[in-house]
Amino acid sequence: MPKCVIDGREVEFAPGENLVEVAKRAGVNIPVFCYHPGLSVVAQCRMCAVEIEKMPKLQTACSTAATEGMAVKTQSERAIKNQKSIMEFLLLNHPLDCPICDKSGECDLQDQSYDYGSPYSRMTEEKRTYIDLDMGPVIVKNMNRCIHCTRCIRYGEQIAGIHEMVAIRRGNDTEITTIDGKPLQTAYAGNYADICPTGSLTLKDFRFKKRVWLLKRTATVCEGCARGCAMEAHAENNIVYRCVARENLEVNQYWLCDEGRFNFHYLHETDRVVEPAISSASGLVITEWKAAVDAAKATLKGRKALALIGSDLTQEEAKDIQEFIGKSFPGAPLLHFGTPGIHSAREDADEDKILKRKSKTSNLHGFEKLGLKGFESVPSGTEAVIVFRGGRAMLPKLPTLPTVGVGVFKKQEADKFATVLPGAAFAEKSGTIVNFQGREQKLVRAILPPGKSKALSEILMIWSHA
Amino acid sequence: MLVKGKKTLFQDFYFFETLTGMIITLKEFFFGTKVTISYPEERRQYSERLRGQHYIKATNGVENCTACMLCPTVCPSECIHIEAGERQDKEKYPKTFEIDILRCCFCGMCEEACPKDAIKLSTIMEMSTSYRPIYDRAFLSEQRGNK
Repeated sequence: MPKCVIDGREVEFAPGENLVEVAKRAGVNIPVFCYHPGLSVVAQCRMCAVEIEKMPKLQTACSTAATEGMAVKTQSERAIKNQKSIMEFLLLNHPLDCPICDKSGECDLQDQSYDYGSPYSRMTEEKRTYIDLDMGPVIVKNMNRCIHCTRCIRYGEQIAGIHEMVAIRRGNDTEITTIDGKPLQTAYAGNYADICPTGSLTLKDFRFKKRVWLLKRTATVCEGCARGCAMEAHAENNIVYRCVARENLEVNQYWLCDEGRFNFHYLHETDRVVEPAISSASGLVITEWKAAVDAAKATLKGRKALALIGSDLTQEEAKDIQEFIGKSFPGAPLLHFGTPGIHSAREDADEDKILKRKSKTSNLHGFEKLGLKGFESVPSGTEAVIVFRGGRAMLPKLPTLPTVGVGVFKKQEADKFATVLPGAAFAEKSGTIVNFQGREQKLVRAILPPGKSKALSEILMIWSHA
Repeated sequence: MLVKGKKTLFQDFYFFETLTGMIITLKEFFFGTKVTISYPEERRQYSERLRGQHYIKATNGVENCTACMLCPTVCPSECIHIEAGERQDKEKYPKTFEIDILRCCFCGMCEEACPKDAIKLSTIMEMSTSYRPIYDRAFLSEQRGNK
């Protein structure tokens, strides 16, 4: 492999690799604003300019490919002077909004202003201001904070597949907006907030909810569809406040769809059943665990049972259920459900050209591996049903039979059930899920199950020993 | 090693030592200057920089606080609880602002961290109550002092 020297450190590189990436591997941080590894290179912010031996001028590291024997100085006098000047230039019109800005704490501009900028401003003129435009249900724009890096424009063109963001006017008056001021159309709009290096594009959903440095970050996997995108759940005090995309070049690169990003809201919905409940004349009534398990046993006793298992559960849970059904209800059919119309892994396909899959549950492909069959219709002679579910799988239409629900249910869904034993949803448990590529990925627990809900293994333990 | 000196029986009574001490006490009692005050009737003048009861400073009737959460972040006794909200004019403001005053150690770091000059410690130091008080937003919005 060819080698180059960055700040006196010798690094190997693949031909064609740019200097920012090579330097990162050498442990040298080159500051960038407009460069993003998932997008095309425009070398617009000039922040990454470095000195290269035998070149008369500073070169932008993001657009310069490393060559054999290249000697790069990122900390030379000229490079540092450039970084300082660019920081001052970018901050000329940037408001001192950090106390109210949602990006504050994870903001590239803020971090690099600390590292490379000056603590004083020489600007005495009035700062340029814009009137803000509504950008639809996902994104809030604050144009005053923008530094014109055009990451959002390139993201729309190259990743989301819709050219909806544009830069109008030129020079000092440049404004980033949508074409004709229309709201954003793409189903991947949340990424605009992720890639924006300042707080100009932020999530409406997360607006003023929490400061980012207070959040505990858990690297987990999205359960929105069979792709299983890498995701980070940000939580504090047992409440998930937001989910952001995590890098996984094999699965989702750097992106996440809005459906998966905002899927976590059902965890904290008020109509979720979080205490064991049994049915009565006036709907569900909350009881103790012991009483509820006894009622569930009584419901299924002596009846020919059908076991349904949502394909949003983990491999470990599915295995537990298989063993449990084999022991407690020998001969009962165990079928999986998840998305209406998708009964097996063969029917799962790409929904669009970006990330989404047709199967809206995360572990359909794992269940096929365990040999489970899809649910299509209720077998004749069935007298009772037991449903296991993680919260995401769509309940199929069931005939009015005595039903026991184990897992996450909403109050309306569980209204007709004989018994509900509340379980844990995706952010409340750890386990393995298998995506459509056959890749085994880990769900990691970010928060504890709410109320009196218990993990599935615990529920099955109570059932077998009570 | 402790060496015990030899003492006579008379020395064991410490007669002269007690007498000397008593003379000093009586001299201070009758002729010395007083260092205590009779507190509720008399008050002492404290420094203007005393860190006492909190308040949120307001400008033109609107509180300066923008719920940036720097004070709960810096607070060593974790006694400040803020929930942010959006005002009618789209500005961020503290929907709830509570100080669990019994936990507070009056270090003044919240005042120091505040970028908006909002949270202040006034010079009021008499704040004992017979219940466990939690200062809410309405209470903190009262302007106490001119810091």
